[in-house]
Amino acid sequence: MNWLSMVANRLIWFVPTLLGLLAIVFTLSRVVPIDPAFLAAGENASVEQVQKVRERFGFDKPLPVQFLNYVRDVAQGNFGVSMFTQQPIVNDLATRLPATLELTLVAVLIAALIGIPLGVLCGLHRNSWLDHVLRVVTVSGLAVASFWFAMQLQFLFSMKLGWLPLSGRMEGFPPEPVTGLMVVDALIAGDGEALASALRHMILPAVTLALPAAATVVRFTRNGVIGVINSPSVAYQTAMGFPRRVIIWKYVLRMALTATVTQLGLIFGILLAGAVVVETVFDWPGLGAYAVRSILQSDYNAVMGFTLCTGALFVFINLLVDMLQAAIDPRGAA
Amino acid sequence: MDLVKRFARDKAALLGATLLGLLIIAAIFAPWLAPYPNDVFDFHIERRLLAPAPEALMGTDRMGSDIFSRLLFGARITLMLAGIAVGSALLIGVPIGLIAGYYQSWFSDALMRVAEIFLAVPQIVLAIAIAQTLGPSIQNVILALSLTYWPFWARLVYAETRSMRNEVFVESAVALGASPWRVIVLHILPNIASPIIVRTSIGMGATILTAATLGFLGLGAPPPTPEWGRMIAESREYLPEAWWYALAPGIAIFLTVLGFNLFGDGLRDILDPRTRRSV
Repeated sequence: MNWLSMVANRLIWFVPTLLGLLAIVFTLSRVVPIDPAFLAAGENASVEQVQKVRERFGFDKPLPVQFLNYVRDVAQGNFGVSMFTQQPIVNDLATRLPATLELTLVAVLIAALIGIPLGVLCGLHRNSWLDHVLRVVTVSGLAVASFWFAMQLQFLFSMKLGWLPLSGRMEGFPPEPVTGLMVVDALIAGDGEALASALRHMILPAVTLALPAAATVVRFTRNGVIGVINSPSVAYQTAMGFPRRVIIWKYVLRMALTATVTQLGLIFGILLAGAVVVETVFDWPGLGAYAVRSILQSDYNAVMGFTLCTGALFVFINLLVDMLQAAIDPRGAA
Repeated sequence: MDLVKRFARDKAALLGATLLGLLIIAAIFAPWLAPYPNDVFDFHIERRLLAPAPEALMGTDRMGSDIFSRLLFGARITLMLAGIAVGSALLIGVPIGLIAGYYQSWFSDALMRVAEIFLAVPQIVLAIAIAQTLGPSIQNVILALSLTYWPFWARLVYAETRSMRNEVFVESAVALGASPWRVIVLHILPNIASPIIVRTSIGMGATILTAATLGFLGLGAPPPTPEWGRMIAESREYLPEAWWYALAPGIAIFLTVLGFNLFGDGLRDILDPRTRRSV
C-alpha cells in the first residue's frame, strides 16, 4: 500500500512538473530582446511580411494566451514548426532521437561493463594499489571537460593516427532504416561495410560520453560493496562458516548491485547532459546537437520541444528508479 | 586543530588544497606572474601559433598572444565567475531550503516542487538556454549558472532541516519560547553547515565545468576575454597543427575542478562523518 501511494503521489506530480518546466522555458523564450517573428521571416523581409509571420505563429497575442495555446497544442502532440528546418518539431525530434539513443545505450554499456567489475574489485580489495589507482582515475574522469577530452581524442586517433573517423555517424550510404539505430539496421540489412563504418564512428563519441558515467559507476559500486561487506548480515554469514566465495557471489554482489541500480537516474542525467556537448563536438546528428543548434539560432519552438522531451524522459526515468528502489528497499519509501 | 591534522594526513585532500592554492595565487598575482601581461588584449600577428619555447612556455595563440599569460588571467575569470555564481545559488537556495524544511505546509511542498522542476532537465541545457536568451557576457553566464544551480542547495538544506526539526535540542529551543527565526539561524543552520560547505566545494567544480562549456559554445564572455572554455573553442580550427593551443587551458580546467573535488572529498571526511566515503 505504501508503495502504491508513493507511485500515485509521483504520478500526480508528473503533469504539474512538466507544465512548470514548460512555463519556465516559455518565459525564457519570450523575454528575449530579439523579435522571433523578425528572425523567422528572414533578414530581408518587409514590415508586412514580418507582421504576417507574427500573426501566423500567434506572436501578436498576449503572452498568457500564447502560453495556453502552446500547452493545448502540446497536449495534442503538436510542438509547432521549427523556424529553420521548416519541419514539425515532432518530426525533427523523432528523426534525431535514435541517434542519441544509440550513442547513449552504447555509452551505458561501456560504463557498466567497465565500471561494475572495477568497482567490485575495488570494494573487495579496499586500499590495494588497484583501489588507489582507480580512485585517482575516477576522480580525474569526473574533472575533465568532456568537450576538451573529445577534442584530444579526435586529435590523437583521427588526425594524427588516422585510425578512426573525425566526426559524423556513417560514411557512404546508410543501411535501410528500420530501427534508426545504425548498428542494428546494418545487421538487419546484412551490410558488413555499413556495420564497420557505424561502429568506427561510434567509438570516440561513446568513449567520451562513457567516461564520467563509468567513473560514477565505479564509485557507487565500490561503496555499495564496502557497505554490504561491513553489514551485520555478512558478519553473521562469515561467523556461520559460509565460504567467502559464496558470501561474495551470492549476497554481497546482489545487494551491492541493487545499490548501483538506484543510481541509474543520476547516470542517465550525466549521459543526457554529456550528449549535448559530445554530439556538438562530433557532429553526431542527435537530439543534443539539435538542441545546441536550435538554442544558438533562437529557434524557440525547437528548444521548447527538446526541453519538454528531455524533461519528460528524465522525470519518467527517475520515477521508474524510485519505484524500483521502493520495491527493493521499502524502508526509504515515503 | 585536530581537524586540520586529520585533513593534512589525507594526501588527496592535501593535493586538492595545493591545487586550489596555486589557482588563487595565479588569479591574484596574474599581472606580475605573466611574462606578457598585456597579451590579454594585445596581439602580434607575426608571432602567431608558435609552438612552446622558452620565450612562450605554452606557445602562442591565433593572435600571437602568449597562452601562458592569458591562462593566468583566465584563472581570475574562472574563480570570480564560479565564486559569484555559487555564492548567489547559495543565497537563493539555502533560505528556501531552511524555510521549506522548517515550516511543513503546502507552501514548502510548492517551493520544493519548483526546485524539482529546475532539476528535471540537465543543468547544462537550462544554462545554455538562459545564457543564449540573455546574450553572451560574463554577467549573464553568472546569472544563468545561479538560476540553474540554486535547487541543489535548496534540496540539500531542505532535507537536512527536516531531519533537524525533530531533534531534541530544536524541540527544547521551541519549548523555551525561541522565535522560529532564532531557532533556524542559531540552532539549525550551524548544525547543517558541514554538508553545505562540502557541497559548495564540489559544486564549485561542477559550476566551473558548466561555465567552461558555455564558453566553449560561444555563450560566455566575448573575445578577447581569456576565458578557458573559449580559448579551447578558438583552438579547434588550428588542429592538428597547433596541438599546444587547447592543451594548456584544458589541463587548467582539469586541475581546477580536480582541486575543488578532492578538497570537497577531504572536507566531507572530517566535517560530515555520516556521508564519509568508505576508506
